[in-house]
Amino acid sequence: MGYVAVKGGTDAIHNSQELVEFYRLRNAATPLDVNQIRSQLRLAVDKVIGEGGLYAPEYAAIALKQAEGEVFEAAFILRAFRTTLQRRFYSETINTREMFVKRKISASFREIPGGQILGPTRDYTQRILDTGKAGETAHEVKSFLEAFESKIDRGKLQDIDTYGKVIDLLKQEGLLKTIDPNDDRTLTDITREAIKFPAPRSARLQMMARAETGGLMAMGYSSMRGFGSAHPTVGELRYGSVPVMIKDPSGRTRYAGKIEVTEAEMVSSVSIGKKNAIPKFTIGYGLCFGQNDTKVICMGILDTTMRSPDVNAPANDQEFVLYHTEGIESMGFTNHLKLPHYVDFQSVLGGIREAIKRNGEKTPEKKPEVAEMEQ
Amino acid sequence: MRYMEKQDYILCECELVPLEKFVASIEDNFEIKIARMPSICMTMIQAEDSVEFQPFYLGEALTTECEVIVNGQKGYGICLGDEPLRSYCIAFIDAITQLQDVDPEPVNNFLNEQAALIEQADKIEYNYIMRTKVDFKLMEQD
Repeated sequence: MGYVAVKGGTDAIHNSQELVEFYRLRNAATPLDVNQIRSQLRLAVDKVIGEGGLYAPEYAAIALKQAEGEVFEAAFILRAFRTTLQRRFYSETINTREMFVKRKISASFREIPGGQILGPTRDYTQRILDTGKAGETAHEVKSFLEAFESKIDRGKLQDIDTYGKVIDLLKQEGLLKTIDPNDDRTLTDITREAIKFPAPRSARLQMMARAETGGLMAMGYSSMRGFGSAHPTVGELRYGSVPVMIKDPSGRTRYAGKIEVTEAEMVSSVSIGKKNAIPKFTIGYGLCFGQNDTKVICMGILDTTMRSPDVNAPANDQEFVLYHTEGIESMGFTNHLKLPHYVDFQSVLGGIREAIKRNGEKTPEKKPEVAEMEQ
Repeated sequence: MRYMEKQDYILCECELVPLEKFVASIEDNFEIKIARMPSICMTMIQAEDSVEFQPFYLGEALTTECEVIVNGQKGYGICLGDEPLRSYCIAFIDAITQLQDVDPEPVNNFLNEQAALIEQADKIEYNYIMRTKVDFKLMEQD
C-alpha cells in the first residue's frame, strides 16, 4: 500500500513540536545537564555513537536529551547530523593490540595473556532494583568516589601494560583456518556506495558496526538457537581505548585522540569440507564504538554465519541480516506506516465492499460518521 | 611514539585550562594569522579484523581542525571532538616548535609537566581496573 502526499497542517505540526517540548520539560525541576547524560548514561551514549556511526559522545548526549532518551531517535539525529559534515581525514588503521584495556575476558581459556580482567560489568550481579538510587545525593556520590579512590595505594602504582591476544596463541599453533583465497577482500565504504549482494566482508563488517544492537542480537540468537549454523565461544572480548592517528595536510602523522571500542573474537570449530580434512577453528570478528558486549558478540557470530551463505537460515543470509539490522532504515520504514495511505486504503476498502456485495452477504447500512470519514 | 606524536598526545590528552593558559602566556610574543578557523569535520576510522587483517571502516569520528601561521611558519592542529580552543592551541604549538629561533624550553617544560600528570592519571585508572582482575577456579578445584 503506498502513501500519498498531503498539504496543510503546518500549525498543528508546529504545535505538536511545542507539545513535545512541553511534555519533555513540564516536570523538569532542573534541566538535564549534557555532561550528566554523558557520564551517568554512558552506555546509552555508547549505543547512540555506535548506531549513529559517528564517534561524538558530546553530541550523542545532546541527541539523547533532545529525543527524551529514545536511542533510535537519538542515533537517527546523530546520523542526520553527520551528513552535514565534511569528511576531511581517514585515520590510520587502529590497532586493538595497543588498547588501554578496561575489560578483557575469555570464555575459551581460563588463563589468558595478562589474566582475565572483568572491568566495568554487571555480568556477575543480580538484577535487583536499587531503590536507593532514587534518593542519591551529591554527598553520597562524593563519599562513594572518595572511598573508591582510597582503595588503591598511590605510592605503589602498577605500570600500565598492553596484552597479547588469545587468538594469536591459536594462530601460532596453526589451529585457525587459513584465509580462503576466493574471499573478496575489497575495502568498500557503504556510506559512499550502495551495498550490493554478495557484499565483500569489509562492507558486512562496516554495516554491522553501525547496526542496531537489538537487531544484531535477534539474528545472532536465532543462529545459536538452531536457525543458523553458529554457536561459538568468546575467544576474547576486550573493551578499552585505542589511539587514533591521522595524516595532517602537510603529510605528517599526528595523534588526534583516543576512541573507546569493544572487540570480540568469536571462536567456532569447522571441518574444512573435504573427506578426512582436519577440523580447524574459525574466528568471527566484532568491533564497535563504545562499550557494548552484546553487539560485538553478535557481530562476531554473524560474521561467521554470513561466510556460509544459506537462504534457509536467516543469520546466514547476508541481505536478510544486513538490511534488517540497519536500525535507522528499519525504524524509518516502520514509521512510514503512519504516513497517509488514504487513497490506497480507500481503494482496498471499496474492493472488499464490492466482493462482499457480489457474494450476496448482507452488510449493515453505512453509518453517517463512516460516510463522513470517507469523504 | 615519535616526538611529534608524543607532543600531540600530550596536547590532546591534557586538561584544557592549563593548555589555554600556557598558550595565552606566550602568544603575544608572536605574529599569528589564522589560516583556517577551528572547524568541525569528520575522520573515517579505519580498522581491521585481528586475525585475517581484513580492513574495514568502523565509522566516523567528530574532529576539529585549525591552521595558523606563526611568524611565517604553518601549524596544524587536529583533535577528536568539538574542540575549537584545543585545536587552535595544538596548531599554535605545532608552529612554534618548528620555528628555528624560538627557545624550546618553555614548551618542553609545559609538555613534561603535562605528560607527568597524564601518566599519573592513566596509571591510577589502570590500577582501579586491575582490582577487577580475576582468577576463576573450576568447581572441582580447591
